[in-house]
Amino acid sequence: MSVGAVTKKILQAALFQEIWEAMKVTFKHMFHRPITFQYPREQRVIPDAHRGALGLLRYDDGRERCVGCDLCEAACPSRCIKVISAEDRERPLQRYAAEFYIDITKCVFCGYCVEACPVNALAMTKMYEFSTHDKRALLFDKKKLYEIGERHLEDGKKYLYAHNQEQDVQESREYRYYFPQSVLQPTQPPPKHLS
Amino acid sequence: MGLKPATNPEVEAATIELTIDGTRVTAKDGVSLYDVISMTGKIIPAMCYHYTFDPFGSCGMCLVMQEGKKAPVRSCTAKATAGMIIRTEGEDLFLARKKAVEKHLSVHPLDCPVCDADGHCELQDMAFEHGVTNLPNAKQKFIPEDTRSLVLDFNMNRCIACAECINVCKDVLMIDALQFMKKGGFNQVVPKGDVPLQCEFCGDCLAVCPVGAITNKFSKYLYKPWQMKKTATTCNYCGDGCQLYLETKDEDVIRITSHLSWKNKWGDRAETAKGHGGLCVRGRFGFEYIDSATRLQQPLVREGDRLVEKPWLEVIDLVAGRLAEIKRRYGSGAIAGLITARCTNEEAYLFQKLMRVVLGSNHLDSSARYGHLNFVRAMKRAVGIGRSLNTWEDFTKAKAILLIGSNLTETNPLTSVRIKEAIRVYKAQVVTFDSAITNMAKLASHPFLITPGTEGLVLDGLVKTVIERDLIDEEAVGQYPAAFEALKEAVSRLSLDQLSSQTGVSVESFQEIAEIFAEAPRSIIVCAEGLVRRADGYRNVLKLVDLAWLTGKLGRPGCGVNTVTEEPNEQGVVDMGAAPEFLPGLAPFDDPTARERFEKVWGASLPSPGEGRSLLEILEGCKSGAIKALYVLGENPLATLPASAEVRSALERLEWLVVQDPFLTETGRMAHVVLPACTYAEKDGTFTNLEGRVLHIRQALDPKGESLPDWHIMTALANALDYPWEYQSVSDVQAEIRKLVPGYYNLGQPRKAEPVLDDYWSGGYVHEVAERYAVTSVARDQARPFSLQMGQVLTHSGKLSTQAPGLMKIAPNTGRLHMHPEDMEKLGIQDGDKVRITSERGSLQLGVEPDQSVAPGTCFFPEHFNEPPVKDLIAVSVDPVTGVPAFKQCWVSIERA
Repeated sequence: MSVGAVTKKILQAALFQEIWEAMKVTFKHMFHRPITFQYPREQRVIPDAHRGALGLLRYDDGRERCVGCDLCEAACPSRCIKVISAEDRERPLQRYAAEFYIDITKCVFCGYCVEACPVNALAMTKMYEFSTHDKRALLFDKKKLYEIGERHLEDGKKYLYAHNQEQDVQESREYRYYFPQSVLQPTQPPPKHLS
Repeated sequence: MGLKPATNPEVEAATIELTIDGTRVTAKDGVSLYDVISMTGKIIPAMCYHYTFDPFGSCGMCLVMQEGKKAPVRSCTAKATAGMIIRTEGEDLFLARKKAVEKHLSVHPLDCPVCDADGHCELQDMAFEHGVTNLPNAKQKFIPEDTRSLVLDFNMNRCIACAECINVCKDVLMIDALQFMKKGGFNQVVPKGDVPLQCEFCGDCLAVCPVGAITNKFSKYLYKPWQMKKTATTCNYCGDGCQLYLETKDEDVIRITSHLSWKNKWGDRAETAKGHGGLCVRGRFGFEYIDSATRLQQPLVREGDRLVEKPWLEVIDLVAGRLAEIKRRYGSGAIAGLITARCTNEEAYLFQKLMRVVLGSNHLDSSARYGHLNFVRAMKRAVGIGRSLNTWEDFTKAKAILLIGSNLTETNPLTSVRIKEAIRVYKAQVVTFDSAITNMAKLASHPFLITPGTEGLVLDGLVKTVIERDLIDEEAVGQYPAAFEALKEAVSRLSLDQLSSQTGVSVESFQEIAEIFAEAPRSIIVCAEGLVRRADGYRNVLKLVDLAWLTGKLGRPGCGVNTVTEEPNEQGVVDMGAAPEFLPGLAPFDDPTARERFEKVWGASLPSPGEGRSLLEILEGCKSGAIKALYVLGENPLATLPASAEVRSALERLEWLVVQDPFLTETGRMAHVVLPACTYAEKDGTFTNLEGRVLHIRQALDPKGESLPDWHIMTALANALDYPWEYQSVSDVQAEIRKLVPGYYNLGQPRKAEPVLDDYWSGGYVHEVAERYAVTSVARDQARPFSLQMGQVLTHSGKLSTQAPGLMKIAPNTGRLHMHPEDMEKLGIQDGDKVRITSERGSLQLGVEPDQSVAPGTCFFPEHFNEPPVKDLIAVSVDPVTGVPAFKQCWVSIERA
C-alpha cells in the first residue's frame, strides 16, 4: 500500500466519508416522491386485465346470464367450481344454475372459466381483498358471486373487454353464443337479434 | 329398403367379390355396401345408420366413390354387387362429407352448452372431425319443445331427421310409436298421431338419438356426460338380467344408459340374437329409488310401539344375543329365515349358510317359492336340470314358440323383444295361450284366448292331440316304451271335445298347434306367471316336458322348455340353496353324499334330513308357535300374500322378528329390529338370470347413510354368534362358492347341461303320469262369472318399483279394476264408476277403468299395489308337491255399487 493511499484512508476516516456517502442517498430521497403508499388507506390503481375475485353477471334487464352449462367447471384446472343446473320451471327449455359454488381458496386465478363461458356470465374483478377469519366464507355461493358481480360490474365489463371477450353489445352477439329463447308458441317470431 | 342383412338365416345369398380401397373383399350378395365396408374394419361416418335395423339413408355422410360414377354414392343404401370398385377415402370425399355436416348444422340451434347431449353428440363430433367453423346460411327452426310425454322431451330444433328413433321403435321393438310429420315447415319426429307419447317407454329412441333431440325428463339438465362415473352393472328388476350403465355424479344417480346407443352403431346383426342391448322402462327410468330419501339409513329397534334409531354395534349385539337365546331356549328349529330373490348369489349363499350352520335351522325359503320353484322342481325331477333349457339366442332362432301363460311384454320386456325378433327376422310361428289379450298375442301367428285357469287342460289337449295324430318322435319315445304306454293310457281317458269346451280352444286348433310345434325344427316353450304361479303349476310344467319329450324336442339343440322370472335372481337363490329342499348347486338336502361334502367344507353338521319348512309352512309355524324368531332379508310376505294367509297374525306371534331391507316395508313396520340394507347399486355380487348366466353387479355408490350390504350384515351377525367368518369382500364368498359348486360362474355363459331323462322316464314316470292327466271337471260357480286376475304390469316389478318416483309417475296406482269395455257396457258402468266385487273371501268396493288388454269375462288388478287390498279377495291354494302358494286368480262377481 502506497503512502498516498494510506493518507487518503486516514483522511476519509477523519472526515466520516462513509456517513456522508450514505446520507447522500437519504437526502436525495427526502426530495423524491415516495414509492410506497399507505395501504389500506391508499389503494393501488389496478389494470383492467387484472385477474381478481370472480363474479357472476346479469344482463342489463336483470336476467341471470348464466345458463348452467357446466363448462367453467370443466375448464377449471384446480376443480374449484361446482355448478348444479336445472330447468327453469317458468321458462321451459331454459337451463340455469340452481347452485353455483367457487371455492376461492382453491382458485388459481387462471381465468379459464371466464374464457370458457359461452355467455360471458363470469368475469374477474379487481377485488382481491377477501381475507377473513372464517375459511368457510371463502366458499363463494351463487348469492355471493352475484353480489360481487353487481358491486364490481364495471370492473367485470372492463375485464371482458380487456380480454377481448366482450367488445360491445353488437359484436358480443356475433362473437358469443346467444341462446334460443324458450319457444312457447309455434308462431312465435324469432328474437330480435336474429331477425 | 329391401336390403336384408347377411345374417338372415332364411336368405341364402350368393358370395360376391368387390374391391374396397384396393383390397379384394368377399361379401354376400344384396347386402348394404356400408355393412360390407364396416365389416372390413373401416369406419365411414354415418349418423343415420345403426346395425340393429336396415339402413335408412338420410344423413348423407356415408359417401364413397364408386368407379364409373361421377358423384359420390351413399354406401348405406347402395347394394353391394360383384365387381364394384370402391374408394372410401380422399380429399373429395372429405369435402363432400363436410358439406353434409354443414347442411345439418345450418339448421341446428347450436345451443350445445345447454344441451344434454353436449359431449356425447355425433353431430358435434362430426363438426369437429370435419373442421366446420363457420356457417354462411344458418337459420333456426323455432319449434316449441314437445314436453307432453311423461318420460321424454322432444326438442325438434336439434333433430337431424336421421330417423334412428323411428327405425329402432318400428324394426327392432315392433312398437311403432313414432313417426315423421311435416309441421311448421320442418319434418319432425312426433308420437304417432301427434298426441302425447303413449308407448312402452323403453327409451331405446333416446339411446339411439345421436343428437339431443330426445332427452330424458328425469335427468334433464342435471349433468354433462363427462361429469359422470359410469358403472357397468346388471338391472335388478326382472330375470332378463339386462346389462346397463349406471351413471352417477357424486352421490346421486343421474341416469341409466344401455349398451344400445348411437355410439355402438357398428356391429354384426347376428349378435342381436343374443339381445339388442336395449332396456325397458323399468331399467331405464326406474332408478330413482336408489338415492331416494325414503331409504333406511340407520338400524331401527322397537321401543314400545315405535322404531328408534340405534347404532350398529348395539343392534348387531342385540340381534345376535336374542337369536342365541331363542336357539338355546327353544332349539334351533324355532328360527326361520326368508330371503328375497333381489339379493345376489353370494348373499343367498351366506344366508343359507347362516341359517343352516350358524343358527342350525333348515327353515329357510326365498321369494322363488312364489312360483319359480314349481319350474325348478319339475325340471330337476324330469330332466335333472333345474333351470330353463334355452338361451336368448335359442329364443330368437326358434321356428315355433309356444307361449303359455306368459305375458312377456309386461313381465320380461327384453325377452319379448327376442320373441319379436324371432317373428320378424326368423319368421317364427308363435302360439300364445293366455286368458288376457297380451301384446305378444297381438303379434303372434296363432293367438288363443283361453278360459282362465285352464292352462293345464290346454296342455292335456296338446299332449293328447300329439299322441292321437301320431306327431310323436319315434326315436325319443322309443327309448322309454313303458313310459310312453303309461302316458298313452293316461291320456286315453281324456276327451278332446270336453277339453275343447272347457278351454275354449277348438279341436282343430289343437291339431294345428300340435303340428306346428312338432314339425318345426326348433321349437321352444316359454311358460311364465300364468302357469307357474297358478294352481297345479308343478304338474303343468311336467306336462310341458311331456309335450317336448313326445315331439322329440328334449335335448335337441335350440329346443326346450323355459320359464321367465320376475325377480333378477330367482334362479340364483335356488341354485345357492336358499330353499329347504336344496343345498347349493341344487344338491338335494337329504342326499347323504352331498350333505357329507358340505359338512366337511363348512366344518359343521347340517340340520337333520327331512327337516325344513317352506314359506307357507314357516308362516304356519309362526302362527302355531313352533317358530319363535324370523329373519326376513328383503322379503315382504305381509304385502305379498293375501289376508287369508294370515301373515299378520303369524308375525305378531313371533318373539323376535328381524327385517333387513333398504326400505321400511309393511313387514318391517312389524319388526323388532330393522337393519338398513343396500340396494344393488351399492354392492358387488352376481345375479343368475333366466338363461342361467351369472352376471356381475358392481358397486357404483357408497352405501347410503349407515346402510350396509347384506353379505356384510350377515358376516357381522355370524361373528357376533361366535362363528368367525372371515369374508372381507364378495370375492371371498365367490371363492367358496367356486369350490362347492364347480363351474357356477362360467364366465357369464350359461353352464352347459344335457338333459338326463333316464332317471325319471325309466323310474317314477310310470307311476306319476296317470295322476297327472286325471280328468278334471272345472266346477264353476254361476254366481261368480268373472275371473279376477292379478299380475305384473310393464312399468312395475314387485313392490320395489313402487319406491321409484319416475315409475310411479308413469303408472300410478289408479286403485281401479281393469275391465274389458264390453263387460262394462253389459253391466252398465262407465269409466270411473264404482263397483262392488265379491269373492268367496269377501267383497270390496272400487273404481273401474276400461282396458282393451283384459279379456271379456275377466278383470285385472296389478299385483304391485295393495290399495285397495284386492289381493285379499283371493284364497291361497298350496301346491302339494312344491309348497308353492297360488294366489293370483279367483272367481268373483261384479255389480254396480
